[in-house]
Parts: sequence; C-alpha cells; structure tokens
Amino acid sequence: MTVYAFSGGDTVASAGGAVAGAGTVVLAAGIVLRFPIAIPWAVMFAGSGYVVSRTHHSVVDGWAAVVGGALLLAAELAAWSLASDRRIHEERPVVVRQSLTVAALVVFAALVSFVLVGAAAVSATAGLLLTAVGVVAAVCAVAVILRLVR
Amino acid sequence: MTRRATWKLSAYAALSGFGLVAALVLGRPEIVALTAPFLIAVGVGLAVSASPRFTAEIAADERAVEGDEIDIRITLVASTPVDRLDVFVRLPPGLELAGGKQARSVRLARGERRELELTVRAERWGAHELGPVYLRARDPFGLLVAEGMLSRMPEIRVYPLEDTLRRILQPRETQVFSGSEVARHKGEGIEFADMRPWAPGDPLKRVNWRATARRGDVWVNESHPERNTDVILFVDSFAEARGQDASTLDLAVRATAALAHSYVGRRDRVGLISFGGILRWLEPGMGTVQLYRVVDALLDTQIILSYYWTGIDVIPQRTLPPNSLVVALSPLLDGRSVDALLDLRARGHDLCVLDVSPVPFMRRTESGVDSIAYDIWILRRDALRHRLQRSGVAVAEWREGTPLQAAVEEVRAFRRHARVARV
Repeated sequence: MTVYAFSGGDTVASAGGAVAGAGTVVLAAGIVLRFPIAIPWAVMFAGSGYVVSRTHHSVVDGWAAVVGGALLLAAELAAWSLASDRRIHEERPVVVRQSLTVAALVVFAALVSFVLVGAAAVSATAGLLLTAVGVVAAVCAVAVILRLVR
Repeated sequence: MTRRATWKLSAYAALSGFGLVAALVLGRPEIVALTAPFLIAVGVGLAVSASPRFTAEIAADERAVEGDEIDIRITLVASTPVDRLDVFVRLPPGLELAGGKQARSVRLARGERRELELTVRAERWGAHELGPVYLRARDPFGLLVAEGMLSRMPEIRVYPLEDTLRRILQPRETQVFSGSEVARHKGEGIEFADMRPWAPGDPLKRVNWRATARRGDVWVNESHPERNTDVILFVDSFAEARGQDASTLDLAVRATAALAHSYVGRRDRVGLISFGGILRWLEPGMGTVQLYRVVDALLDTQIILSYYWTGIDVIPQRTLPPNSLVVALSPLLDGRSVDALLDLRARGHDLCVLDVSPVPFMRRTESGVDSIAYDIWILRRDALRHRLQRSGVAVAEWREGTPLQAAVEEVRAFRRHARVARV
C-alpha cells in the first residue's frame, strides 16, 4: 500500500505514501503489542494515504478494488494474529477453515469492489450517492440471502 | 453462554460508516471501493453467524494416589456447526499436566461428538476441584463470540502416599473389645501371664498339669486377653514450614494416613483431631470405612491463619476417650498446639509426639544476625522437646527424607524405658 502510494512520484503522492507508511507502523505496533484497537486506525491511515496520493487524479483508479481487498486482508490477518495464542493448540481443520474463509472473503469483497469501481467510473461523480446506497443495498441483499440459506 | 460482539465488528462497522461518509463528502468513488470490503465482511459475517449450540461435559477419575496419572475427558456434542471452539481447562495447584493439551481450538460439524483427552499427574494430596473449563465459540468471521464455562466440575481426591510401618506405637491401656494388642490385665486370652491356685469356677482347660503335679495342688494358667485400643491422631494445622515441593503439613498428613492404615489393620478404633485455625474431629471408629473417613478428613486439612487462642476445651469429649493413645504430629511451631499437647498430658492422656521437623525447610545463613536467630531457634526447639519429655511425653523428631519407622522406633524406645510421670 505504501509503495503503491509512493509510486505516484509527485509530492502529494509522497505525502500519501508517508501516511500509508504510518499506517503500516501502527499495524505492526498493534500486532507486536497485542493492541487490537490499533488495527482500524492502521487501516484508516493506509486508506487515507491512498486517497491522498490520488488527490490530483480525476480518473477513478481501477486498482482501488485491489487496495480495498488488500486492506481487508491485512486487517483479517492482523486480527487472526491477535486472536491466536501460542498456548492454545489449534487443530489443523481450524486453521485450514479459517484460511479458506479469509481468502474467500477477501476475493469476494475485492470482486464486489471491482464492480463498484467500474460502475462508479461509468457514472462518474454524479452518481456517488447512488453508488454508496447501492453498496449498502447490495451488502444487505447478500446478507439476507446468506441468512436465508443458512 | 454469553454472546457478545468482538472488537472486530465495531471496528469494521466504524470503518465502513466512516468510509462511506468520507466518500460522499470528498466525492471520491475510490473510497467506496476501499470501504466496501469491510462492509461486506460485516454483512456477510452477521448473516452467516448463528448462536452456537453444543453441550460439554467433563469426566475424570475421582480418586487417585499421589504420583498417579489421571485421565480427564471432555465430551463435546454440537447440534449446530461451531467453526472454532476454544477449550481451556484450568488445573488446580496439586495437579500438573502430564499429557495432552490444556488449551486447544477445535472445529465441530453439526451433530459431531468429540472427546478431548488430557492426562494430569497428582502431585500433592488433597481434594482438588478441577477447572473451571472455559469455552469460547467464535463465528466464522470472528465478529461474534460466545463465552461460558462448565458449571459442574468433578472433584479429584488425591490420597497421600503412605509409608509402610512394620511396627507401630502401642498404647499403655487397652479397651474392652477384642483386637491385636495384648492387654496388661489378666483375662481370657492366649498370651501366658501367670499361674495361680485353682479356684471354684476355673475351667478344666486352664489347669497347668505340670505345675499341679509338681506342687501337689491344682494350679491354673492365667493369660492376657487380646484387646483393641483407641488411638487418636492429632494433626497440628496451626502453622507449617513450607519448602518448594513439600511442607511439614504434607509430611504430617502422609504420616497420619500411614498410622491410621496400620491401626485400622489391627482392629483398633482410630479417631482424628485436626487442631488448627479450623478444628476438625472424627470420633474413633474401626474398619475400612473409618480409614476412608480419616483419610477423607485429612484431605480437607489445611493451614488457616488464626489468632484465636484456643485450647483442648474446644475438642468434644467423645473424641478423646479415656485410656486412648494420642499420637500428635506437629512441627511444634505454634504455642497454642504446644500448650494443647501439654494440657492433654496433664489430663492424663497417653500422649506421644512425632515432631515433624521444620528445620530442613529453613536455611541457616553463614553469618550475621540471621544465623544467630537460627541457632537460638534450634536451641529453643530442643528446650521445648525436653520440656515435653520431662512431662512424660515421648517426642521424636522426624525429618523429611527419613523413614517414619525410625521416628516411631524412637518413640517406642522412649516409652519402653521411661516411667509414667504424674504431672
């Protein structure tokens, strides 16, 4: 994330990269100190860094979906790391199941984000409110379907 | 079980809300793309989460001897799928893990029955209540967690490892029931006591024909009857000296169990007095049931700090029957127990003391005030033992690592040669 933010080359991109880097440091500190509240802050810093680095770009970035998925993956792995305790013996099926769950969630979330980015690029900024409402509605619809299936 | 949201749910929800608002305010569609995965995680996570339903039971062997390994089984039966169930068994002091995992995470499918096994080693005697067993079930995305613990836990009673005693202390007086102790008085028995001239009523089988032929008159044999005895085991639980692995109370309890086992085997009546911060007593009785009662009562013995100055008046009279032998096991650390022992002797009880020595649990420094204090303490202990001996009480010091039989023999020797003192 930090590298991606720095890759813009200009001063604003560097500032964004610095903010994202701060997020990385906060994430690392949160994991080392086993301080869960640091994780959302780290995600927010990293996301903010990305947004700052995109300040002067009017075109919607297609990589935003990947960045969103990466942020979720980082948060999930950090949460898993904090939840794990060396004293607790995790059976293999538990680890496999959790790995698959995280992977499926990240892929699914990235795909949905990709669709959203595509839709937003087509409709541009005029339809942003509708896009946000659409995201919430889509998530709610998926949740209802999953609930009914379960 | 109590179900609650984890920090992850609130963090993801906050990130989602913040991101969507920021996207609207800044007019940047990318922020929606950054935020959407977290919103999806929350939505999907809450949709697929369901309250976990499962039952858990724990079972273990209820009785063991020190050093034994005990198998513990936790049975889990799930009626709904449980993605991740953390199980943690807390072990009380005195039980140590010998095999298996004390904490583990398992996954249970719907209707699955799973048995988790672990082995613990009984390191110290006592009544150990296992657990609690903590259970924590997480949903697939870790947004909600249900926590609880097992309410009914088994109690493992670990009996002390006993020394084997070849000979035990014999009381001066016997009781009226038959037993293994040769009584001092004469009566119906096997052990030859004396001869006397025949008297009307004497049975023919008791006539000593050789003596009769030699003396011209009819003489009969007299014998000592075999009777049982009453033995009261007096455990001083006012104070103890504790080392890393053992304490004077541990030694006293082991010795008491060994003595009780030996006396019950001789058909003697055995009672117990645990004299300390909490007074416990067991009236004398005989048989295996009484042995279990004594040992079970011993398991509950512990040092309770108390400043209450108590004497033997608080002991019920039926617990101290007349002509009973009182065997006290005491580290002689607390003045109250020493006074109680002297009081018992003054009231005419047949008393002997096994001094469970606290000296090996203390370390003498090479020099300085501490070493002088240590020396004075040792001298005071010697003086205390002499004071008890002057009162007619047989005292023997018993140290950790030496056989109990040695201390018992020392007491027996004292009682064989010493005269009964009337104080």
